[in-house]
Amino acid sequence: MSIYAVIRVLVLLLVLLPLLSAVVVPVFGRCARRVSLILALVHLGITAAVVVVAVVAIGERNAGKVANPTAPTELQFRPEFVPGDSAAHIGSDATDARTTWTLFSLSNKQTRPGTPGPNVQFYIGIDGLNVWLVALASLMLIPVILVSWESVKEKPGAFFGWLFLLQAGIIGAFLSFDVILFYIFFELTLIPAFFLIGKWGMGSGRRDAARKFFLYTLAGSLLTLVGVIGVVLTNPNADGTITFSIPQLMVNVQEGLQNAHQKALAGDGADLAAKHATQFWLFLALMAGFMVKVPIWPFHTWLPSAYGEAPTGVTVMLSALMAKLGAFGILRLVLPLVPDASILYGLPVIGGFAAFGIIYAALCAYASKDIKLVIAYSSVSHLGFLVLALFAFNKEGLSGAVLHMVNHGLSTGAMFASLAFLVDRYRTTEISKFGGLMGRFPGFALLFFVLCLASVGLPGLNNFVSEMLMMAGLFDARNAGASRLWPAVVAAVGIFLSAWYTFTLLQRVFFNASKEPEPVLPQAPVPGVNRREFCAIGSLATVCLLLGLFPQILLDTMKPDVRTLSIIGDSARARVGGVPYVYVDDEPKPTALPAPIPINKGGDEKGKDKGKAPPKKGGNKKEQKAEDE
Amino acid sequence: MFEPIGLALIVLLLPLSACLLAAFSSLTPLKKLAHVPLIVACGSAAVVALLLLLKVLDSGAGVPPSKPITWFAAGHLQARFTITVDALSAIMLAMITFVGTWIAVFAGGYMRGDKGFPRFFAVMGLFVFSMCGLVLANNFFVLVAFWEGVGLCSYLLVGYYFEKPSAAAAARKAFLYTRLGDTGFLLGIFLLWKLGGWHTDLNLLFDHIQRFQPDAWQLTLACLLLFCGAVGKSAQFPLYVWLPDAMEGPTPVSALIHAATMVTAGVYLLARCAPLFAMAPDAQIVVSWIGGITALLAAFIALAQTDLKRILAYSTVSQLGFMFMALGTSGTISPAFAVTAAMFHLFTHAFFKALLFLAAGSVMHSMGGVIDVRQFGGLRKVMPTTHLTFLCGALALAGFPLLSGFWSKDLILESLLAAVDTESHYTAGYFTLFLVACVTAFLTAFYTFRAYFLTFWGPEKIPHEAGHHAHESTRSMTIPLLILAAGALSVGIVLEPFTHWFSDFLGSAPSLMQARGRTPAKDVAHHFNWIIASVSVVLALGGIGVAFALYRNGGAERAPAGMAKVFELSRKKLYVDEIYGAALVKPVEVLAFLARVFDGFLDALARLISTIPRFIGGWVRPIQNGLVQFYALSMALGVAVFLTFVVFRITR
Repeated sequence: MSIYAVIRVLVLLLVLLPLLSAVVVPVFGRCARRVSLILALVHLGITAAVVVVAVVAIGERNAGKVANPTAPTELQFRPEFVPGDSAAHIGSDATDARTTWTLFSLSNKQTRPGTPGPNVQFYIGIDGLNVWLVALASLMLIPVILVSWESVKEKPGAFFGWLFLLQAGIIGAFLSFDVILFYIFFELTLIPAFFLIGKWGMGSGRRDAARKFFLYTLAGSLLTLVGVIGVVLTNPNADGTITFSIPQLMVNVQEGLQNAHQKALAGDGADLAAKHATQFWLFLALMAGFMVKVPIWPFHTWLPSAYGEAPTGVTVMLSALMAKLGAFGILRLVLPLVPDASILYGLPVIGGFAAFGIIYAALCAYASKDIKLVIAYSSVSHLGFLVLALFAFNKEGLSGAVLHMVNHGLSTGAMFASLAFLVDRYRTTEISKFGGLMGRFPGFALLFFVLCLASVGLPGLNNFVSEMLMMAGLFDARNAGASRLWPAVVAAVGIFLSAWYTFTLLQRVFFNASKEPEPVLPQAPVPGVNRREFCAIGSLATVCLLLGLFPQILLDTMKPDVRTLSIIGDSARARVGGVPYVYVDDEPKPTALPAPIPINKGGDEKGKDKGKAPPKKGGNKKEQKAEDE
Repeated sequence: MFEPIGLALIVLLLPLSACLLAAFSSLTPLKKLAHVPLIVACGSAAVVALLLLLKVLDSGAGVPPSKPITWFAAGHLQARFTITVDALSAIMLAMITFVGTWIAVFAGGYMRGDKGFPRFFAVMGLFVFSMCGLVLANNFFVLVAFWEGVGLCSYLLVGYYFEKPSAAAAARKAFLYTRLGDTGFLLGIFLLWKLGGWHTDLNLLFDHIQRFQPDAWQLTLACLLLFCGAVGKSAQFPLYVWLPDAMEGPTPVSALIHAATMVTAGVYLLARCAPLFAMAPDAQIVVSWIGGITALLAAFIALAQTDLKRILAYSTVSQLGFMFMALGTSGTISPAFAVTAAMFHLFTHAFFKALLFLAAGSVMHSMGGVIDVRQFGGLRKVMPTTHLTFLCGALALAGFPLLSGFWSKDLILESLLAAVDTESHYTAGYFTLFLVACVTAFLTAFYTFRAYFLTFWGPEKIPHEAGHHAHESTRSMTIPLLILAAGALSVGIVLEPFTHWFSDFLGSAPSLMQARGRTPAKDVAHHFNWIIASVSVVLALGGIGVAFALYRNGGAERAPAGMAKVFELSRKKLYVDEIYGAALVKPVEVLAFLARVFDGFLDALARLISTIPRFIGGWVRPIQNGLVQFYALSMALGVAVFLTFVVFRITR
């Protein structure tokens, strides 16, 4: 048994263990919470093993030199540790990153194992984009269980069972490399979330909130299914069969586009125009589901009620993980499969909504009267920034966005988790009922302050790093429609506004004279932070600090895949601009001090200026345009 | 280890360990000794910093920046931890740790018995650490990290008395106003990153921009955006309003953070970025004008204030304005001269303003927390040491001949006047600014001595909060006062007018040499200018004289004859807070409220759309009535209609 074979089994367990737990935990009834905690810790252990090996394996791949980085076969995701790898025999480390595990086949002809056929496969694996998100999904369940320890009194077994199912769906979606499998896991998350909100919710509006959440996201994601099928049908293999494998689809997409691009450069643009027209509709359909899931303004209205009504632990799951599924879908499906449309309509259209949402949600957060809602709206605001950075479609923006998915999950999840402290003691989180908590609960104040500071992007804590990278992505405004800096300015204003509502919240709740509502147990003195709560939130706060100081390991791991995506983006930019695409290896070498690069480098070679003769002073010219408009 | 970089790292790490020790002590019975680590750390850091200063003096040209360690890097963006030691950072480091030590000693006495004693010293340690880091940083992102770090400490210390609503509001206000400036600062950094060949290290970035000069207006824009950060942090117009409110914090905080160090970070930033600013004269005149407007405005508001600490706060704002006026001339005249003028004023100001704040703190301590000059008076006899040291600080601030403030203010006036005498487009502007500076110097002398006379002269008056035992403060508080007073009296005359030590040393900083390289700036010789000196002596003595005439017998409400209206305007701070509240804060709050209401509306819209299927369902439900005959009939009808359609279609 090689280590690869072991890790393949562990990767499979990442999905299967939560599924198994979901079945097992309800049996235990009374002591379900203890069993769940143990299972979650086992899962975290498995994840840790997978992450460590994956970081090493991807690091090795990173060191390797790619001969022809723009060939379509290079422009695909390369999952590691695929269970059922077609090239792997027992005891060998060989891998071709394809699986043989077919769930069902759409053709009655027997295809040779490993060849892409019209098969829906159980195709999962680890790559640089999902490894840290899986780690996050595994980690977050522990504070969720801990903060639900006392508060879930009614049928705890079922509650924790549903939680595990939710986790299984989320991890499955992160791991999937088959479009249909991705979609199945993506939708699977709705069922546990529906029951968790509707049955264990806090307020009277919980059933309504659960229904709204379910129908809203379902309506969006059904359109996504249409888009998924459309992508599959329009990008068949060379032999005419269809495939559901995302890496294979990427190759097919690139081959089709590169051929059309060659033709267009030779004077026959009909093919490319047709492809762009198709991509437009596919982009719209795919984005429908993801826009609701992220959510992007104006499709966010399910979010405040769902987050507000859900039990605290579930809100943590929803905000930290489920919201990331939408952004992850954009990363995994939209950008690689409809790249030209992502360039054409990403920043100008979706980015416009996202940018508006940043400001709008920040204002709503300020005016909200409940701490939970403030954090809920702040989540909408921050995720708008993330979507902007994704559609910037360059290395800085993509790395920043992936990192921000992790960071935002951590800090927002932890903030919601810390609210369990107030909910357990007072059963309310209304701002006006609290005051001066700094003197009343210094331990809680310390933790909450650290999380708030992380959330507003204070340097040294995690969000700062990803926000700076995303901002850099927006400044590298190579996108055809966005040769201006407005998204960056909006994002900067968003960063300021987040400090504005967060510090207003802190002032009202933690400063001033001490004030507290009627406690749940009126006789006993209200206790401070106990050890369980301190472990749950303190550990997350520590991770926030560590990620803020040492983020590079995460960035290194995602580097190969980010490079792949950025090449896809750059070539799409060239196609949209109607100029040939020339690959430039412009990465600063990590060892020597980088020699000063002339200003006009800025990536003109990538042909961002629409059809113009090669500009002489690219960097400056673009800026000029940016400011003129 | 004993290379300059190693020494700098020691200076950096000492306060951090003090912070951790103080924080840790809150869990132990040693709570009452939480101030010891900070005093020891700052003291030893000051010694090391002095050593470092000598090393840099030895090395002459300066030391290359430390080897970079990657913090985060992706694509073109590389943020790396690297520090630089040159004359500029060495002077700042020595000043911060020296002043910091004595303020820590003072605070040990001042804060005794307070509930949050360890918390106070932990955050102070963190502050000194961040401030040293800010000064040493050679990478924009590291700089921003420490920049925000000092902002956070300021927030935590202004809000130290968190039960007080006014302190809570002031803390938030301080953080948000500086953060507003930082928004521009960040955009500026990214614009520079783009212009400067994707560099983020300061020296490489400046080098690149000097070699490949970008469009002038882009550079101007980038410089102005950087200046936004300085405007926020150094409390310049229009973002200065947070600083007076920040006096809600304990007095040692006001002395260290809001007078001597943090608020000068903006000045330091511009001095550090002199190679950029010297290339953007259009940005420079804006810097000068903002400085001039701030200096005059703040001095005017300080005239009629009654809160001793707020008078000093406005005076700080005004003096920072002076520094920016001088900085704004760099490029027009030799950057080394302009930066020296600003930095020298920063240096002397740190001494005499820290002294003034500590003396005010000593007064406040013995008056039982009362700081309103109307409620006490004639404290000369009660607090002789405090009186004497306050007088030293006041004389230095007012620019009394031969004291430190006199020399540094002269340099600033000289730089402005030198800028007039050039081919710049803006000579008229610089001349106006020179006049503004003169008026401000007069006002400074006046309001400083108004505060002095009201506090220490006139009939003895002690508020009942002070109890029966209003007396001179303990020795741990008076010794720092005496040391800083000695500094306020002497640093000016020792370091500059005859020896030129300060300007020669600072002029050797590599970044200033670099700035020198690109500009057609006029060289200014360091000589003693009799005209300027006599003008400023007249202004200083005039201000003191008017204050003496009006306030030697107390009576804070007394306005000069016929100027009651002006006096009232000054007392009400020109209504700036009210104007901001009505023009900016309130509208945004209303907008936020409207957005929230609109969100409910959006939700209703989504619900409305979701009722459509049900509505349609209700409408078509009767069709599914379960009668097979009806289904058969409709099927037949359907087939008939379809056939008819097909027939017509074919026969047409």
